[in-house]
Amino acid sequence: MYDINLNNYTSGMTLGVSNNGTSTVHLALHKATKSYVVIKKYFIDDKEPEDYSFIQQEIITTRQLQHPNVLPYLNAFVSGHDIYVISPLMSYGSCSNLLQEHFHQGFPELAIAFITKDVLRGLDYIHKKGFIHRALRASHVLISAEGRACICGMRYSCDVVKSGKWLRTIYAFPKSSTNNLKWLSPELLQQDLRGYNEKSDIYSLGMTICELANCTVPFSDVPDTLMLTEKVRGSTPQIIDKSTFPVDVMDIEESGEESNSNSKKNIKAMATRKFSEPFHAITELCLQCDPSNRPGVKQLLAHSFFKQCKRTNNTLLSILKPVKPLNERFMDSVEDQAMVVTTELENLELESCQWDFENI
Amino acid sequence: MFEEIMPLFGKSQKSPAEVVKALKEAVSALERGDKKVEKAQEDVSKNLVHIKNMLYGTAESEPQADIVVAQLAQELYNSNLLLLLVQNLSRIDFEGKKDVAQVFNNILRRQIGTRSPTVEYICTKPEILFTLMSGYEHQDIALNCGTMLRECARYEALAKIMIYSDDFYNFFRYVEVSTFDIASDAFSTFKELLTRHKILSAEFLEVNYDKVFSHYQRLLNSENYVTRRQSLKLLGELLLDRHNFTVMTRYISNPDNLKLMMNMLKEKSRNIQFEAFHVFKVFVANPNKPKPILDILLRNQEKLIEFLTRFHTDRSEDEQFNDEKAYLIKQIKELKSVHEN
Repeated sequence: MYDINLNNYTSGMTLGVSNNGTSTVHLALHKATKSYVVIKKYFIDDKEPEDYSFIQQEIITTRQLQHPNVLPYLNAFVSGHDIYVISPLMSYGSCSNLLQEHFHQGFPELAIAFITKDVLRGLDYIHKKGFIHRALRASHVLISAEGRACICGMRYSCDVVKSGKWLRTIYAFPKSSTNNLKWLSPELLQQDLRGYNEKSDIYSLGMTICELANCTVPFSDVPDTLMLTEKVRGSTPQIIDKSTFPVDVMDIEESGEESNSNSKKNIKAMATRKFSEPFHAITELCLQCDPSNRPGVKQLLAHSFFKQCKRTNNTLLSILKPVKPLNERFMDSVEDQAMVVTTELENLELESCQWDFENI
Repeated sequence: MFEEIMPLFGKSQKSPAEVVKALKEAVSALERGDKKVEKAQEDVSKNLVHIKNMLYGTAESEPQADIVVAQLAQELYNSNLLLLLVQNLSRIDFEGKKDVAQVFNNILRRQIGTRSPTVEYICTKPEILFTLMSGYEHQDIALNCGTMLRECARYEALAKIMIYSDDFYNFFRYVEVSTFDIASDAFSTFKELLTRHKILSAEFLEVNYDKVFSHYQRLLNSENYVTRRQSLKLLGELLLDRHNFTVMTRYISNPDNLKLMMNMLKEKSRNIQFEAFHVFKVFVANPNKPKPILDILLRNQEKLIEFLTRFHTDRSEDEQFNDEKAYLIKQIKELKSVHEN
């Protein structure tokens, strides 16, 4: 249905740059069906074969997954020197965009419960199909127009079913993970003989929950080596409310003249709010240092934290209300039409040299 | 003996014979397209998961004991179910297709001492391989078939059947289809078949040189950038592998091949320029250049020296590349026509 001719799509604004700059993400309108899609464009000409094989792996893996909480790729094709991947539009973008643009004090608890529940369902599927995601973070959780959370970012995943064997333990460190280190589990980061398994994703989920609640991922201002030491020592990051807010930090922030009033207001709100006991509990469970103490996906889905999803008449959509979905912003943004045209023109280097093959 | 093991995995567990029989009936019903297709599909999926769990275990349970797996494998051979499954792959649901591939790959790697019984079995049923290869014709099963084919290609006996079949030449079409994931998956399989077993593929390329390279030429001229890039890279790997010495000698004696590489050196894509360099260098480094090759190089001597001097100068970190480039420039400078000697 979503064909492979770029001319059949009207491209809108650029939504972002992903995979450490190897691709750009564009909002587009599929002319034939009048539906909004997202086009991801990978530049591969300057990529080493290894990077290329990652991109290939990501696309092939994602094409073999089908679950409401995992972002599908509808089609993938080559045009010019680039690879294009079509996926459905997730109208509210990624959770990390939502945090940056609208939820400066983090998401409300109920929103996090809805999102986490969906992420767990997607994760359950991914694990059952023999993958470890290895890059769960707010930027890899997208929210659809219906308020459904979807996991993306399978580029960093690893396949635990290899050549007819189910590997119970993985030792390989995910390549090009520099930007994901804060979210990775202590056992994965340690790279020792004990290896890691799908429980590593549960730790990353815990970090993502903190990110959603606190608006920043734990250890965000800490150098990587110290972050690793802290994780291995068993220091458990927390969601910030009045019970966990570090008092000394508050004093410093209070006295700091240079911090602007908005961030002061946010900090104050975070220091005075109250998260539920189950919320604190589930976060702590996910962030257990020893993977065998972390519950599996199934147990987590049965956690009392999710009871609030049933007790309320609210939906994730009603909480997101003030946010304008991306497709509504489409018309003010038909700016990057150039995407299609430039493909053919880029790298156009008029080479003066002509070989002489005459009569040979 | 089997009865003794039964209690270990509970009463409700079906025996290998039972589950294979149930699966075969369900797949046959699916094939016939009876009125109860949905029921048949459900049964197929259920029994596939069952077999998969016996082989791989689950999060909660270990895989079955070797003897159970051995019985299961034997039942699969006797019932001809592996062929039936791949023939009906399109009819099985999305998750079931992947389960077929996982079951297949696990059974394939079975070993008894140094013997691989499943490989021996498939050698007697090559239709299994041909059916899998033709799977690339169908979008909905292409990737599943690719997963199984690459595992098969690890075994020399199976790789041999595949490359010497007429169907092998269909790969030249599969690697160029417009859907990126299928084309690149087909290319991975194609590459595996041509590089995994060095002696087998060297013999194959020698015997079928004309046919293979006339097809290969089309890939190098493909409209699809990825096809061109990947096939050029693989060509370089094949030619520089010492097992393929005879093939290389033949390839670098043909002036058309040299012209193609010289043109690719000037392509817009830097990646293709760079890969073409690695094939071009073999023509120049050849100590026994045939006259037509020497003629082309001589005719373009000055241009080549100038071109190579300016070629990818930003790769200053890549020592090997710079050494090779300097060597080529030196070689081309010192070229003399045969008559002058």
